[in-house]
Amino acid sequence: MIEEVVMRQDIPLDDFLPIFVSSALVMVFGGFYVGIFTAVKVNLLKKWAMPIAYIFWMLTAYCLYLMGSLMMVGDFTAKALVVAGIGLLLLPHAVYYMQHQVHEENEH
Amino acid sequence: MASNHLTGIGSESRQLATWYFTFAAIIFGAQLLFGLVSAIQYVMPGFLFEILDFSVARMLHINALIVWMVFAMFGSVYWLLPDETGIETVGIKIGKLLYWVFVAAIVVVILVYLFIQVGPADEMSIWFIHEGREYIEAPRWADFGIVVVALGFVANLFLTGIKGNRSGIVTVLMADMIAFAGLYLCGMFFTDNISMDQYWWWWVIHLWVEATWEVFVGSLAAYGLIQMIGASRKVVEMWLWIEVAMLFGSGILGIGHHYFWIGTPEYWWEIGALFSALEPLPLVAMFIHVMYDWGKQQGKQAASGSEESVVNNKPAFVWFWMNAFGNFLGAGIWGFFHTLPQVNLYTHGTQFTSAHGHLAFFGAYATILIGMMYLAIQGTNGIKVLKNTKASIWAVSLLVGGMMGMTIALTIAGYVQVLVSRAQMGATWAAYFDGQSGMWFAQAMDWRLLMGGVMFIGFLLLIKDLVTTGKNPVHLR
Amino acid sequence: MANKSVWSDNRFWQRSAAWITGFAAVLLIWLTFDTMGQISMGNDADFKNGVTKRVPGPTVINYKITYEMSTKRGHEVPIIGGNDGQGMSLFQEKEKFFGRDDWSEEEAGALLHLGKLGSQTKNCMNCHTLLGNGAYYAPDLTKAWLDPAWGPEGSMQAMTGKDTKEEAMAEFLMHPSTYPTHARMMPDLGITADEAKGLVAFLKHMSSIDTNGFPRNFGKIQGAVHGK
Repeated sequence: MIEEVVMRQDIPLDDFLPIFVSSALVMVFGGFYVGIFTAVKVNLLKKWAMPIAYIFWMLTAYCLYLMGSLMMVGDFTAKALVVAGIGLLLLPHAVYYMQHQVHEENEH
Repeated sequence: MASNHLTGIGSESRQLATWYFTFAAIIFGAQLLFGLVSAIQYVMPGFLFEILDFSVARMLHINALIVWMVFAMFGSVYWLLPDETGIETVGIKIGKLLYWVFVAAIVVVILVYLFIQVGPADEMSIWFIHEGREYIEAPRWADFGIVVVALGFVANLFLTGIKGNRSGIVTVLMADMIAFAGLYLCGMFFTDNISMDQYWWWWVIHLWVEATWEVFVGSLAAYGLIQMIGASRKVVEMWLWIEVAMLFGSGILGIGHHYFWIGTPEYWWEIGALFSALEPLPLVAMFIHVMYDWGKQQGKQAASGSEESVVNNKPAFVWFWMNAFGNFLGAGIWGFFHTLPQVNLYTHGTQFTSAHGHLAFFGAYATILIGMMYLAIQGTNGIKVLKNTKASIWAVSLLVGGMMGMTIALTIAGYVQVLVSRAQMGATWAAYFDGQSGMWFAQAMDWRLLMGGVMFIGFLLLIKDLVTTGKNPVHLR
Repeated sequence: MANKSVWSDNRFWQRSAAWITGFAAVLLIWLTFDTMGQISMGNDADFKNGVTKRVPGPTVINYKITYEMSTKRGHEVPIIGGNDGQGMSLFQEKEKFFGRDDWSEEEAGALLHLGKLGSQTKNCMNCHTLLGNGAYYAPDLTKAWLDPAWGPEGSMQAMTGKDTKEEAMAEFLMHPSTYPTHARMMPDLGITADEAKGLVAFLKHMSSIDTNGFPRNFGKIQGAVHGK
């Protein structure tokens, strides 16, 4: 499981800014995805906004990819990032499903 | 917090809570003051040189931070216990006595920090002056005092939880607080081996702020949602268990991201990277949860034909929102972008860490604890609906705006350091000073000081609002 | 209420939380045992036997320490007493520390003990970073011993007028405000001659700890590390 070498290469100077910006955007876009998804589910936003949420998730995934490749992460970390990205995709669905179940059982 | 309308079951416990909150607010002010001194020293290095040096001012700044938060956390527990258990806190007399012991110890420690500052290199200094280990500098004698006080507090919590109605929130708090107190013991020994020293030091710091404190915040958020918007206890408590699973599941092994460079083996790179990547997920989840419950409750209210807000304590609710948001921003975004070892190699020990530390402590903890103070003010004064006032709105705007400004300034400074001192020059003495003297760095420090001043004004308004709430006629009684 | 799903069952989540927390805690404790073994401090016999420890014993102060690229590991590692050409320490080349290179295990241990105590009681960590942790008001001390500024051609050694690195460092620690280098100065912390000696031993020892290549490219511009 241990990578032979994680940090063989230096990060080029010009790559630092894109790395910081893309990793911040991972979270920002991820936040938008989750926020819009939840807002639609609790009827704060209309149904048509849902595709926008998924577009934000795709942007998140892209930024995650960009960040990982600029940092030159190894195989293991790349897998960890993919897991985190998919986790983010599923998270609001799971939360909504569970919240819905509980509300159904308690209020009807 | 002078006027007291507390009566009935739990009034003793709530009174003790207000004492804890009052002292917490005072120390919060001290934290900001010493922070300002340190910020001035970045801009004017001669300021108070060899009178109150940066090392001393910063030690007071970060110790005041820990102390006021611990006080406000204890206060929060004493406040919510009667609501949750339905009985008066067991052993409240001892709780009150220990409060005074705690306050006296803190005052002595602060005076020693201020007037003795450093001692010779021997065990006596470790026992009676300070231990010189960031965040847990408190001298050894005070360590033992803190352990005694914490045990008393945990005993209050456990005995009350066992005797009364043990709700889900109380159960989580009981488990969390025993871990919180127990972890402190990991920071109470001396070793010549600096790697070993920092390994255990992180057990205290990390397992507090990225595990047990976060779970504590989850419990407070659960309690607050039930109190403020009447969220369903069943939903909130189930959610709390999920949060505990996610926070501890990612946070405990997330400690790996502190073990990249302190002499510990390479496998911590992978463990740290994996669990750090997962750490933001529970923070996102907490955010959804607040939004979801609020949307549901407000929707129900709208369906019943009422235009009224479901929120019965506006300022507290604003602060709880700021918590959901700030936790995501400070711990989530600012934590995530320097957590992977590949980039942390360059950012470790720069102002990036400082930016993250400032926003995360404020966003994740200060916000919700201020929210709890508002809940206590509401209860103490017997107010049905606590409204926003001019002062409360300005306070939250200036505190949050100041903190954001400070964080952005520190982030820019960190970026300069990464490029100049680290990537280009390799972290030597000369590299360090080249990074510090750059124009961007210097200006960032000016802005940081300015924004610190903005926060201080916000703090004064917050205190004004809290103190005048009791007499303010706008609130519904 | 008929179809009660496990996903909305409070008890299910309570148990899950307990199991996950327990599992993470057990894993952390297990890893801690392994790490403790790897970061426990070595001793003098390790040097004689050619054993490389992540945290070497205190008598490392008798040896010459450098920080060199290891092609096998892909980053810099501390090299003690000469390089075998493959990035491993030879533990042969000695270096005088305050005029001696025969500090016994007890003497060196006592010196390191004093230095570590001093690093805490003088509150180093609230201005400097040690192993990258601490405050950011002053330079990182992780590899301070290897810093070109303190070397034979370095500005700091020249300023104190001393002939060796350790004497220059000790002199600076005792009278920091006599040697102002920048507008931001180190305050006088009442450090005695003995304490200064201990602190320098502590710094030399810290520079020999294997930090997985942190800091990266240390002293690259001056070429100090490779240039020796």
